[in-house]
Amino acid sequence: MNSHVRRLLILVVARIVGVASGLFGVGGGTLLVPLLVLVLGFDQHVAQGTSLVALVPPTGLLAFLNYASAGKVNWTVGLWIMPGVFFGAMAGAHFAEELSSRILRRAVAVLLLAIGIWEASTALRK
Amino acid sequence: MYLLYLSIGLLVGVLVGFMGVGGGVILIPAMVYILRMDQHMAQGTSLFMQLPPLGLGALLMYRKKGQVDLKEGVICALGILAGGYFGSKMAIGISSRDLREMFGLFMIVAAVLLWHKPKPRESRGRQNEFTRAASLNPRGG
Repeated sequence: MNSHVRRLLILVVARIVGVASGLFGVGGGTLLVPLLVLVLGFDQHVAQGTSLVALVPPTGLLAFLNYASAGKVNWTVGLWIMPGVFFGAMAGAHFAEELSSRILRRAVAVLLLAIGIWEASTALRK
Repeated sequence: MYLLYLSIGLLVGVLVGFMGVGGGVILIPAMVYILRMDQHMAQGTSLFMQLPPLGLGALLMYRKKGQVDLKEGVICALGILAGGYFGSKMAIGISSRDLREMFGLFMIVAAVLLWHKPKPRESRGRQNEFTRAASLNPRGG
């Protein structure tokens, strides 16, 4: 695969991730990390580091504006949660360093699966 | 109440750094279950919180270990920006309950994708170029 094709492929992958990001209100890392590993052959740690780069610019901006104009943003809660996320993230990154790529990948998969099953099943019960 | 928000943030943050994600995946369920927000409100608030680069501190730690592909990360950001516009348009037309089911399914799919590591399809030389940064870290790979 030459580098132009590869870049185009990355853009296509990111575009798909973006649709999921706007649809589910997430930053996109959830889907970007597995796709970088699966489609583009990234190592798990590099995929996670690169995903964090992709999330530095406000990539959710356009999606956020759509939610804001629909009145679907709680500003107070948002502002108070932010600082914790910032400092917690540094602790989490430190912890990730301690694990091998394989164990890290599986641990993240199990976490996602658990939250996903919990979300889907409680929504169905209502 | 504000203390609760701060501690939710801290807990979510640990997972953000650990998983290399923006935090929405953990933030949204936390806001829906602990703070009793509706799904749309939780998703909108999650996107609001991700406007400033909350993962920056974590990113710097990955960077120190050479586990970051800066250029490809930037290309990803461009694609996500554009895709996000269309995704959010879709979400606003969907009921809160359906949206939550889809959110759960989305995470299950992401988890399954992540579990399986594919055999490298690239030639050896090319593969080395991608993973060169990782190999700088003795524990990586």
